[in-house]
Amino acid sequence: MQNITIYIDDKKLEVESGKTILEVCRNNNIEILTMCHLEGVLDVGACRLCLVEIEGVNKLLSACTTKVAANMVIRTSTERIKRYQRITTELLFAERNHMCSVCVANGKCELQNLGYKVEMDSIRYPRLFPQCEVDTSHSWYVLDHNRCIMCTRCVRVCSEVEGAFNWSVKNRGYQVRIISDFNTPWGESTTCTSCGKCLHACPTGALWPKAIVQGQLDKKPEIIEELMAKRKMGL
Amino acid sequence: MSTEIVSSEKEIQNTDPRIKLIAAKMKKENYKADALIEILHTAQNAYGYLPMNILKFITKELKLPPSRVYSTVSFYHFFSLKSKGEHTCLVCTGTACYVKGALGLLDEIEHKFSLKPGQVSADNKLGVQVARCIGACGLAPAVVLDDEVHGKLTNEMITDSINAKIK
Repeated sequence: MQNITIYIDDKKLEVESGKTILEVCRNNNIEILTMCHLEGVLDVGACRLCLVEIEGVNKLLSACTTKVAANMVIRTSTERIKRYQRITTELLFAERNHMCSVCVANGKCELQNLGYKVEMDSIRYPRLFPQCEVDTSHSWYVLDHNRCIMCTRCVRVCSEVEGAFNWSVKNRGYQVRIISDFNTPWGESTTCTSCGKCLHACPTGALWPKAIVQGQLDKKPEIIEELMAKRKMGL
Repeated sequence: MSTEIVSSEKEIQNTDPRIKLIAAKMKKENYKADALIEILHTAQNAYGYLPMNILKFITKELKLPPSRVYSTVSFYHFFSLKSKGEHTCLVCTGTACYVKGALGLLDEIEHKFSLKPGQVSADNKLGVQVARCIGACGLAPAVVLDDEVHGKLTNEMITDSINAKIK
C-alpha cells in the first residue's frame, strides 16, 4: 500500500491509503465518537456522530465511511463538530424511551456514556414518546424497541458474521423498527439461530438475555472483532 | 417455515391463476435476488396489494431472507400489505387541490361513506387514500378513481362518481 500524507487537527500524519478516516484516527489516538461503528462488520454511517470537517468540502462527512486521500486536511473537534455531536446525541435520546434508571444496560450503555461524553445535561427537543413493543417471545432473549437507536449493528452482525439474516429494518423515517423475519415475533423466527451475537453487538439495552435484571447487563462487543479476526486466519 | 409455505403455496397454485403471472415473472428474471422489486411490482399489480402467502412464495422461490423481503415491501410506499379495496379513491391534497377544497371532498366522503383516508370499507368495495400532488393542478380539486383522473370536482360530483363505481 502506498503511503500518503494527511493532516488531522493540524497534526501531520503518514498513513496508508485506502483506510477510512476513522481507522486512521483510532490508530493515532484521536478520539472520534461513534455509535453504529462496530469492529468486525461493515460501516454504514447511520449514527452521524463521527462527522468530521474536511477542508474544501462544504458538508460534514462521516469518518467511518470516508476514505483518506492525499493532502486531506481533517478537523475532528471544532466548535461546529461539537455542536453537531451534542445535537445528534440529544436527538437519539429524544427519539425513543430511554429511561436509564430502569434499564438493564444502566452503567454499561454506550448511549449513556455518549451522553456523559458530550456533557448532555438536558434535551432541548420534545421527546417523541413512541408506543414501542417489547418482544419477549424468544425463549432466552428480549428485544426492547424502546431502547433501540437504529444503529443496525445487530442487523449487520446477523447477516455478515452469523449469516442468518434474521434481522432487518422495516418502514422509514421515525417509524423505522428492527424486525425479525416477516415482522414476526422473534420467538417464531425461522432464521434465528439463537447465537446471541446481536446481544453483544447492541450498544444499548435494546437486546438482552432474559436471565438478568436492571443494571446487570454485561456486553462484549469486542467478541465480534475477535471472531472475525479468527475467521480471517482460517481458524 | 417449510411446511407452512409448502401448504400455502399448493393452496395458491390450485386456486389462483394470478400466481402463474408471478411465477412466470420470476422465471423471466431467472430467480435473481436483485429482481425482487420488479417481481413485487408484478404481484402488487395482480392483487392490488401483497398478501402474506404471496410474499412467502416469492421469498422461497428467490431464496431470500424473509426479513429482506419484508423490509423492501415496507420501505416503498407503492407496496401495500393490506388490501386497498376493490375500488380506490385517491384524493389529491397538494397545494392547488387543497386551496380548491380537497378537504371538503374528504369530509363529504367521510360523511357519505364513513371512510377516512387510509381506510377500506367493511365489504372491501372502496378504499380511500390521499396523495401529496398527482400533478394535475389545472384540474383542482382532483381525485383518481381506479386510475381515472376526475377533475374540478364538487361534493355532489364526488359522491355520484364513487356510487357509479361501487354499485
